[in-house]
Amino acid sequence: MVRRVAYPQQGSEAAAVSTVRPRPSRQAAILAAVMLAASASPPRAEQMADPSASEPSLSLECRVPGAQLYTAAKLGAVQAALAEKRPIKLLAIGGSAAPGASASYPAKLEAALERALPKVDVVIDHRGLPGEIASGAAERLRTMVVEAEPDLVVWQVGTHDAIARVDAEAFESALAEAVTWIRSHGIDVVLVDPIYTASMAADADYNRIVEAVRTVATQQQVPLVRRYEALHYLSSRIDRGEGHFLGRQFRLNDLGLRCMAEHVALTIVTSLAKTETPLEPKAAPATPPLTGAQRAPG
Amino acid sequence: MRDPNAIDFWRGFALVTIFINHIPGNTFERYTFSQYGISDAAELFVFLAGWSIGIATRGRDGVPEPAGKSVVRLLNRTVEVYRAQLTVMLMALAIIAGAALLLDNPLILEWHNAGGFFADPIQSVCGMVLLTYQLGYFNILPLYVLLIGVAPLFVLVGRYSLVGTLVLSGGIYLASLVFEWNLPSWPGEGDWYFDPFCWQVLLVLGFLLQRWNARSDFVRRWARRLFPAGIVIVLAGIVLAVTEIRPDPMLVPEPRLLFTFEKTYLTPARLVHFLGVLLAFAPVYALLAPRIGRIVGYLTQLGRNSLAVFSMGSILSLIGQLVRFQTGGGLLIDMLVAGSGLIGLGLTAWFVEWRTRSKAPRLRP
Repeated sequence: MVRRVAYPQQGSEAAAVSTVRPRPSRQAAILAAVMLAASASPPRAEQMADPSASEPSLSLECRVPGAQLYTAAKLGAVQAALAEKRPIKLLAIGGSAAPGASASYPAKLEAALERALPKVDVVIDHRGLPGEIASGAAERLRTMVVEAEPDLVVWQVGTHDAIARVDAEAFESALAEAVTWIRSHGIDVVLVDPIYTASMAADADYNRIVEAVRTVATQQQVPLVRRYEALHYLSSRIDRGEGHFLGRQFRLNDLGLRCMAEHVALTIVTSLAKTETPLEPKAAPATPPLTGAQRAPG
Repeated sequence: MRDPNAIDFWRGFALVTIFINHIPGNTFERYTFSQYGISDAAELFVFLAGWSIGIATRGRDGVPEPAGKSVVRLLNRTVEVYRAQLTVMLMALAIIAGAALLLDNPLILEWHNAGGFFADPIQSVCGMVLLTYQLGYFNILPLYVLLIGVAPLFVLVGRYSLVGTLVLSGGIYLASLVFEWNLPSWPGEGDWYFDPFCWQVLLVLGFLLQRWNARSDFVRRWARRLFPAGIVIVLAGIVLAVTEIRPDPMLVPEPRLLFTFEKTYLTPARLVHFLGVLLAFAPVYALLAPRIGRIVGYLTQLGRNSLAVFSMGSILSLIGQLVRFQTGGGLLIDMLVAGSGLIGLGLTAWFVEWRTRSKAPRLRP
């Protein structure tokens, strides 16, 4: 069985040569793909007329430039599972389907990952985690992790603490502690920051929570799905088109929920490609530093 | 209407603590006893429910009522609690949805696990009726429904042998710790937040201790002797809670639930801590009652009407969370939220008793 990280941006060339373990060329192709993904800028992505040409793993409505969508970092445990040719056990925490969506977030995520990683079986355990990380929910998370014994935890975090007006510093230290704990047991983590919605854009506390998730992701060197940034980007695009019977923010929210699985899958696949790269083991920082433009407004 | 007593007092105390703890992040949270030990107010609440069953299934003279009457009485209570759970869930979902609409903020929809309901109402509404769909902070009542629903079994076994009840309940408790039995959540994966197989042991302990306490002074004698042990356990709990020392669930030996501090499974550490709290604080009511008459009156009134007060407390704490969210919190807001909440709980208890009084003549002509 040939294990392939079929990164869609490789295009037909890479797919054609990667059937009989051509390791070097495959890795080069992946590296190129990563570079491409990392360097994609907003105007460039928008100019792409053909959906299959740029980041084709993202559907048209979910397309966000890579730099605004994720920060990649190494996923050693998942990589090890791939090397051992065993199913990847993924614990997805938080999130649900958009109203009216035919498939739920975990089902979509599984499908998206199995599409991107052919011949790899992905098993997803999906749990809701109500409550604040800063008080109690982090303990409950430990229970979930022990029960699920996953290779990877995909954690949508921050919403409850933001709503409960938890102090951002308390949240950040509790989150850092929880992520450290998960990683100390050889389990990978992907963090997903809270959503963007207009009424929260200028809320300083909310932005501090979003910022705290990023800080922890950077410090702990774990991949981050920049949902806030991605939805902010998408919000500028949905000004056009039909409205939502509950208003524009609800339409954006539905879109965000529909796109979650694709965005998470792309982040995981990109991070996996990074993990494979032997050319720059630790020279390159796992996470590109945040630039001013990437930060949440407000 | 019952006169003030220790049971209603502590139940009222648990209700107030749960109300405050269900507004996470508020200033007064850190002054509740839940922050200073391994177990918290949920344990107290379930234990006292068991104790009340012991009282309710006997006549005033201590003679047990007919078995059939006890079963119907508990069934009646189960229906009442179930009805309260459905009402409270529906109101909570409406409050969350209404707040999201009013504030034009879809973020609120994801709150407390409510997102699942709005995304998939078809399955969720079935799960709501089956009690397998629960909102965060709204998971004590489903446990309560189930525990009172199965309580007749323990009560009837107890008619023959209280030790038999203890063996049955303790056996189920230990087996569910070892084999990690729990009821599933649905829709969505995962299990109940309060594992009924484990938490039943606390209800049964309350029931049994009430029975033994009524029969002889054996329980009181031992409670006095073990008082120092209770103090030691409480102090150890404070140290563990403040220093945040707890076993790593990944590193403890199997079966792991015997060693961790998990609330879901009422693990032995929590149970022992709760019993320690019980030993240390049992004498406190007698000391307090003559000194703080008004507070005792308030708390016992809450305790007498625990179901209504608990239900209203859940709704008020949710509203309190929304108020904190929208205003940004702060000491002034927290004082306002907690203060009006406590008044609201008092009014609820008063209203229930007023309604019962005004109904009474018509019921018994």
